[in-house]
Amino acid sequence: MEFLNFVLILVAGYLVVKKPHREKTAFTLLVVIFLLLIALFFVGSRSSILPPVNY
Amino acid sequence: MKDTFYTLLSVAILVLLVPVGTSVFVLGFVLGDSPCVLCWAQRTGMVLIALIGLFILRYGPRPRYLGLVVLVGAYGIYMSIRHSALHLARDIGQGFSVEMLGAHTYSWSTFIYWACVVAAGLALLLSREWESLAGGRRLGLLGKIAAAVFFVVVAGNIAQAITSTGPPPFMGQSDPVRYSFNPRRWVWSLEEWRHVPISFRGRWSIDRPSLDGLDTDSRRGPLATVGELQVKRQETISPSLNGEVTDLAYDEASGRFLLTTQKFGIYLVDAAFKNVIRYTVIDPGFSVDMSELNGAAFVDSRTIAALSHNKSYVILKENDAADADKNYRYFAESFDQFDELDRSRFSTVRARMMYVMSLAYDPASDCLYTVTVPNRRNKKLVVSRFARTDMTLSEEYSPKLSAGSGPVLRDDTRSLGEYYVTGIAIRDGRMYAISAAYSTLLLIDLAKREVSAAYAVRGLSKPNGLAVRGTELYVACENKTVHVVDGPA
Repeated sequence: MEFLNFVLILVAGYLVVKKPHREKTAFTLLVVIFLLLIALFFVGSRSSILPPVNY
Repeated sequence: MKDTFYTLLSVAILVLLVPVGTSVFVLGFVLGDSPCVLCWAQRTGMVLIALIGLFILRYGPRPRYLGLVVLVGAYGIYMSIRHSALHLARDIGQGFSVEMLGAHTYSWSTFIYWACVVAAGLALLLSREWESLAGGRRLGLLGKIAAAVFFVVVAGNIAQAITSTGPPPFMGQSDPVRYSFNPRRWVWSLEEWRHVPISFRGRWSIDRPSLDGLDTDSRRGPLATVGELQVKRQETISPSLNGEVTDLAYDEASGRFLLTTQKFGIYLVDAAFKNVIRYTVIDPGFSVDMSELNGAAFVDSRTIAALSHNKSYVILKENDAADADKNYRYFAESFDQFDELDRSRFSTVRARMMYVMSLAYDPASDCLYTVTVPNRRNKKLVVSRFARTDMTLSEEYSPKLSAGSGPVLRDDTRSLGEYYVTGIAIRDGRMYAISAAYSTLLLIDLAKREVSAAYAVRGLSKPNGLAVRGTELYVACENKTVHVVDGPA
């Protein structure tokens, strides 16, 4: 899944640098990447969502 | 001003890509380091912020870009704290994976994300009502360099991601293996997708100890061979106390009992439980947080120790001329009866994830002892010994059953960890431990570290303290009652 996220980052970066008129598409990708990042970190840390220390 | 802004932004993007580029090309491809699933997310977040930087270089500092930098930065700070917390409390040098400038990689990300949030704040502060750059502005030389480095770093991460984590749905692992360019050594795993319960606090979610709902029938206890002790009389604690008694101790030299209460009361009473000789109520807050007091012990005839179930303790010494004003900070009532000598916390290893409800002092070894109570995550009976000289853990073990004629478990599924020890006392190298679960008194040989005998004590109601007086055992129970039994031979 990390591979997918970095491919999306590459595509978004390409649109920004090479196809600047596709800003809306690039920004949509940006948001998708962020949401996927949140989801992946949640999957990896869901057994203890808060830092595993004293409270 | 605009040119300066874009120049600084280009430099910032390059600086941000340094740790990510170092991680993938140097730590990864050269040194063989593989990111774990949490490292991957942190790394992705940094690259994401660099990507937003490219957006700003191209389209100007639009609020939605700067807002997204703040959001990703804030989430990155959360990710880094969540990740670092796994290792921050370990012993010196026991961090995870490689270091950069003396700090492990995952701990660096807290600072990096924080710097990104600060940079976004500065950009908002300094930017004016700049026009939106529809269609994009031209990238300057530095901007082109930043973009080129960005693509190189992203390409490196794509290469490492496809080899060490695999294509979707495979994803990073909690414990990745050393990176290799050899495909036969790649590990593509779905282990992170397996079912695990979602929890806010994980293994740190431990319920506070409670005597409610415990099975008190000794015949259902884990030990099959248990003797029996009879309650020979019952005494009542006459004086008014500020709450239920939570532990008691007895001092032979002064002939007095020490009581602790649920509301942080510490009372010295006479041997007949008729009169309070002196008392105080400690202030549980400030500097060291005291939870409910559950342990009491005489360190000597004038010095006492009280313990909270979170293993915070306070040492008090009687003083008839105590300075009430000076003691205001320590006590909530009765400021001129004691001086506070020490207040701190016991640190444990085996007992770390368990609360305690007992405390005893052993004059022979000049040590204080505690015994754990089980919880739904950890069911162990752990004896911890702390040297009085430095109040530091000196010994810790789970006692075994003595071989030969001693008690035996009913079957292999049972364990001493089912007992719920709420009071302990020590005499002549033996620890007496009363368990509220299964109403059983355990005898623990401190030298051999083993349970040498066990006795059912019927008729106890929520026992939560134990003292030895002569040949008798005093068990504090609910409603200010004390049950007295003859101690075992």
